Amino acid sequence: MSALLPPWFKPAAVVLGALSLVPFGVIARARNVTTTSPRIHIIRDMDSQEKFKAQAESALFADGRAMRPPVPGTVARGELMDDDHLERGLDPDGKFAATLPAALGLADDAKLAALLERGRERYGIHCAPCHGLSGWGDGMIHQRALLLTEKRPPEDGMQWVPPTNYHSDALRAYPVGRLFHVATHGIRNMAGYGAQMSTRDRWAVAAYVKALQHSQHPEMQ
Amino acid sequence: MSDWMIWKKGPETLPFGKRFDLHVRGVALLAVLGVGWVHLLVAYGASPKTTDVGYAPEQPVPYSHAMHVGQLGLDCRYCHTSVETGAHANVPPTQTCMNCHSKVLTGSPKLEPVRESFRTGKSIPWVRVHDLPDYAFFDHSAHVTRGIGCVSCHGRVDTMEVVSQVQPLSMAWCLDCHRNPEKHLRPPAEATNMRWAPPEGDTPDARHAFGKRFKADNHINPPTDCSTCHR
Ligand code: HEC
Ligand code: HEC
Ligand code: HEC
Ligand code: HEC
Ligand code: HEC
Repeated sequence: MSALLPPWFKPAAVVLGALSLVPFGVIARARNVTTTSPRIHIIRDMDSQEKFKAQAESALFADGRAMRPPVPGTVARGELMDDDHLERGLDPDGKFAATLPAALGLADDAKLAALLERGRERYGIHCAPCHGLSGWGDGMIHQRALLLTEKRPPEDGMQWVPPTNYHSDALRAYPVGRLFHVATHGIRNMAGYGAQMSTRDRWAVAAYVKALQHSQHPEMQ
Repeated sequence: MSDWMIWKKGPETLPFGKRFDLHVRGVALLAVLGVGWVHLLVAYGASPKTTDVGYAPEQPVPYSHAMHVGQLGLDCRYCHTSVETGAHANVPPTQTCMNCHSKVLTGSPKLEPVRESFRTGKSIPWVRVHDLPDYAFFDHSAHVTRGIGCVSCHGRVDTMEVVSQVQPLSMAWCLDCHRNPEKHLRPPAEATNMRWAPPEGDTPDARHAFGKRFKADNHINPPTDCSTCHR
């Protein structure tokens, strides 16, 4: 059999065979580590086109953003926000409303239950980190902040003010419209969540907070 | 005379023509093996699993998902607010960081770029990690609200100090799941839960069984025609 091949073949095959494994080793290693260097991009095709994707950079505008805010003084269709009850939580007489706006379309109990369920979910995402899952002001961020106030040097800056507990008498007296207003615009040390949650979601959260308050103060009958 | 006999005597006893044939044969065989080797090398080395997976660019702020999600328990949607409603999952604006960092660690040097961005109104120049070619269309809301969790495509983000790409994001990868989504499906409410497992237990069989039921009940039918992703 060997006579079909020249005598140098065997040693050459062994040496080349061994060498040929080296690149695979290098690649195998590269596949198992993370790297900060840009992706290797061999064939570029039409991968990067002359168009802007969301949140991309643009040299055209002074602020460097490809996404443009609406021109000042313009209102998009459907965003006039002329419903005081829905958008600002106010009664016709300018006081905080104690009812949910008609515009939410809560025709029956099933719709209200769905709104509360949505409120429970959104409360868990946006509020519970500080206010805690049951609203006692004992969320994870609060607990961590207390720890940091002790652990970190003062120059790192910890001016922590504990989040509000919903179950005080003052808070239980808040009409739902006022809760909506706080969720939207914030108050004292709390930032507003108008940009992070839709109007409907903020109402859902306000309604859910009312339900939470009732749940912690069951009335005897 | 058999070949074996030639070998016994040593190839140098062969006439030149025969000896030359022998060398040609050796070189040819090496060349054939070499071509196969190059193919294997390219298939292995140029696959997106090599070139794309593991990309973890350095970010302008040492923001850690392991800290904020893994330890503090924040939900992805606290920051990536558009993930259920839009094609694009937004990276949060500076205001979102300042919800907390106007009170927490207001003097930390690591957060200086965040405070500067807040003062000047200039965006923090976050570096993109995942990036499909511009001719491919992807939609987050179509996946997240139909039972695919972040973890299927982005891995255990809650353990990452720095976000890295863990899936190839190649067309074959998209289609693999579009053809057989069962093992990835879960209730949409659990989309951001990094540790979700079916009630029957965290086994491939339980996941597959759950996915099969979920797919039938909710008519999940990921399209595979070209215009779905190339439009
Ligand atoms: C406190 C805010 C915050 C939370 C909560 C958060 N992220 Fe992020 N995320 C960011 C920021 C800021 C970036 C951009 C910087 C970076 O890539 O690290 C980012 C980047 C990412 C990226 C990479 C985007 C790209 O450029 O391709 C992915 C993927 C991601 N996040 C997924 C998640 C998932 C999944 C969760 C929930 C488990 C989550 N994030 C929770 C703030 C957050
Ligand atoms: C819900 C509150 C919250 C939000 C929102 C938040 N953080 Fe944090 N962040 C914290 C807390 C609490 C810590 C301290 C964790 C610890 O060290 O125990 C922290 C720590 C940090 C640190 C480490 C600072 C240091 O000196 O150790 C960085 C950097 C950071 N956050 C960046 C960001 C960025 C960027 C964003 C916006 C995308 C953001 N954070 C959003 C609560 C938050
Ligand atoms: C089916 C796979 C898949 C799922 C599920 C998924 N992502 Fe993504 N994600 C991608 C792909 C693909 C990209 C790159 C998109 C592009 O380049 O256009 C991406 C990009 C991102 C980005 C960067 C911004 C963007 O949209 O390009 C963020 C942030 C992100 N994902 C967060 C999340 C979060 C949070 C979740 C869970 C709620 C999630 N993703 C679920 C596949 C997925
Ligand atoms: C882990 C599984 C999975 C992966 C990976 C995945 N998809 Fe999907 N995709 C789905 C499911 C499930 C649906 C929803 C099907 C439904 O609604 O019936 C879907 C729907 C879509 C849709 C919307 C179709 C429509 O018109 O309703 C697009 C577009 C899409 N996928 C693109 C992609 C692209 C591009 C990639 C790769 C970057 C990808 N998908 C990767 C599971 C996946
Ligand atoms: C589920 C989504 C999806 C579907 C369906 C799909 N593609 Fe793709 N396709 C992609 C993505 C994502 C890429 C980019 C892959 C990459 O980055 O390597 C791609 C890349 C491509 C490329 C470029 C390959 C290259 O590297 O040059 C071609 C050509 C292509 N697709 C053709 C098709 C055709 C033809 C069909 C229909 C039979 C199809 N695709 C269906 C998602 C899809």
